[in-house]
Amino acid sequence: MARTRLELIEKIEGEAEVLYEYEGERISFAQIRFLNSRHIEKILQGREPLDALVINPRVCGICGHAHLIATVRALEDCFERVPLSQKAEAVREMTLSLELIQNHFKWFYLTVLPLLGLEAPIQRALEPSRLAGEMIALMAGQYPHNSYAIPGGITGEITPVDLLEFRARLERLKLLFRQSLIDVDLEAFVRCERIEEMLSKEGDLPRAMRHILKRGWERVGQSLDHFIVFGGGGLFTEGKSIGTRLQESINLRYLKEEALEGNAAKRVSYRGRYYETGPLARAMVLKTPLIREAHRRYKDSLFSRILARICEVPRLLRYLETLCDGLDLSEASYTDPGPFPASAQGTGIVEAARGSLIHRVTIEEGRISRYQIVTPTQWNLGNGTRENPCPAQKALMGLQRNDPAELVFKAFDVCSVCTTK
Amino acid sequence: MRLLWLSALSCNGNVHSLLNYPQYEQWQKGFEWLYHPLLPSLHTFEEVEDGVKGCDVLIVDGTLEQNLLKHRRPFSELLERYATEAKHILTVGTCATFGGIFAKGEAGRTGVHFCGEARRGEYEWFWQKSISLPGCPVQPEALAGTLSLLAAGEPIPLDELRRPKYYYAYTVHDGCTRNEYFEYKIDEHRFGTLEGCMFYEHGCQGTYTHGSCNKILWNGLNSKTRNGQPCMGCTEPDFPKEGLWSTPKHMGIPVRMPLGVPRRAYLTLAGIAKAFRIERFYKPLMEEE
Ligand code: SF4
Ligand code: SF4
Repeated sequence: MARTRLELIEKIEGEAEVLYEYEGERISFAQIRFLNSRHIEKILQGREPLDALVINPRVCGICGHAHLIATVRALEDCFERVPLSQKAEAVREMTLSLELIQNHFKWFYLTVLPLLGLEAPIQRALEPSRLAGEMIALMAGQYPHNSYAIPGGITGEITPVDLLEFRARLERLKLLFRQSLIDVDLEAFVRCERIEEMLSKEGDLPRAMRHILKRGWERVGQSLDHFIVFGGGGLFTEGKSIGTRLQESINLRYLKEEALEGNAAKRVSYRGRYYETGPLARAMVLKTPLIREAHRRYKDSLFSRILARICEVPRLLRYLETLCDGLDLSEASYTDPGPFPASAQGTGIVEAARGSLIHRVTIEEGRISRYQIVTPTQWNLGNGTRENPCPAQKALMGLQRNDPAELVFKAFDVCSVCTTK
Repeated sequence: MRLLWLSALSCNGNVHSLLNYPQYEQWQKGFEWLYHPLLPSLHTFEEVEDGVKGCDVLIVDGTLEQNLLKHRRPFSELLERYATEAKHILTVGTCATFGGIFAKGEAGRTGVHFCGEARRGEYEWFWQKSISLPGCPVQPEALAGTLSLLAAGEPIPLDELRRPKYYYAYTVHDGCTRNEYFEYKIDEHRFGTLEGCMFYEHGCQGTYTHGSCNKILWNGLNSKTRNGQPCMGCTEPDFPKEGLWSTPKHMGIPVRMPLGVPRRAYLTLAGIAKAFRIERFYKPLMEEE
């Protein structure tokens, strides 16, 4: 009979449990459980549509902003046409990008480094994420949990003074990235395609990656090699990639959600298949050179997963600069879209730190009659079967006694608070 | 001082809010985490479940639910054990204090001492050593500051909901950059502008919400109302109300009056204020000559 062990996974967003099954010293199967749900989808039922802008950021304390933007997109999709200035759109992209940045820093320093047994000074997580929070606050009033994006634009007006303050912090963020994560020229690093070049630099990222190589863990944690990205536009491109086969169009029609007995998280599939979503998926669809190289050598292992997440930071920083440069402050922040339609349906998609986030709303008689949220966690950490496991399960299966199971699991950037049903 | 943080049903927003405290690195030198949901701590969660010693302040966040199981033990068991030992108990965030948003998800969900406005009574035995720090999320200054005052042994004046007056005696209205528009009863407000007060049309609850959002600015810089978002009243027992973006009115006058203002006095005042018609309030600020 197989031996089993129940393990608590903590210091993620919330807690999760993994029930490991062993055959000898090998993990033969793993079941992932999220115990509690806060029932956000139920709480929204019967409410006025705009209330969702206030409720939904509270789905998640670290990705609340992604939920806000997904909500506003879903609500705007309910209108026939919403006049949205380029400025409003760009500012939303800015705050969304900053939320990704603070998440990546926190994850790397608070989750990954301690599991590698490397020195992890918390200020290297806190200072940049605090700065990112300040930059969001400049545009959006506060962080976390603001509701500044509303159908038709954004609630605030941005003056050149705000932009000055924003840019000053952006410079500091860029400096912090170089001082702590990897000392490279951002521009050049985005095009870098050689793992050796990355490894030869100073900083906590190459240090962590060298450590993984030294322990011989670079091929550990391989998963399904199926990637999906729903959120196109902005910095990312929608599409899916299986191995290295790319397909660019995605249709939500093929998305299927299933509730699971005894688990607060639903599981989702696309055309009957499970996919990984998140930074590695985005890099595979975008064909980011360094990540493709990591994938060619080590497949979809924890090495590629960690590298892909951190490599998003310089791209996001440069994106923020481009957005600042292109901002025309004379445009309107908000254009009244008129009264909310009494009956409508809408979908809003964003790329959150952990992957694709999809909100779907149905309005009847002026009220929300149904609201569905598909979070990245449901893709990556769903519960499949032995024959057909979900990504994190697959990555855990086959691990030996000396392999870092917790790191393999947490490389997916586990979040348990975003169970929403 | 040793702190132990227990989360019930939470979004982790209070956890992340504290990390934004501008003086965090300096501040933390005076404190030790027996357990924190994200930061390095002296103990693992399983050790906390088995029982650890030395808790000076118990921090609770998230909504309580009957039979809530964290891992191996019911949440209520952990709460009671550490509340017995702790010198102070902080309910952090509106969920732990009053029930908050998630209390609407299922019957029987509450805060520690309150279910909305009603006192629950179940934990009356530690009411005297509890402090409420509502907010969705809590303002980091209120949490870090209260802990520093406790560590220094300073007395903390509390209101009837046990909120520290240093942080909750103010209203959100106090310090809002849109205040002049409120005073002169200028009832047009458009989103995406620097001017206009949201009390009249867009549901702003700042005049009767206790909190420091416009005194101690968020992230050291800004606030919802300064940005042009109505205050949603997130520090209050009745958060979240329905129809958050519009102002309920009776005969054209907002139903709910600013804190301590009788309706009749408000009407008189509004009549006088409106008579001024100060031209500069009717143009965008940046175009004023
Ligand atoms: S917008 Fe709200 S907080 Fe600001 S002045 Fe008006 S009522 Fe007060
Ligand atoms: S302005 Fe109002 S809703 Fe916003 S954080 Fe402050 S009290 Fe809460």
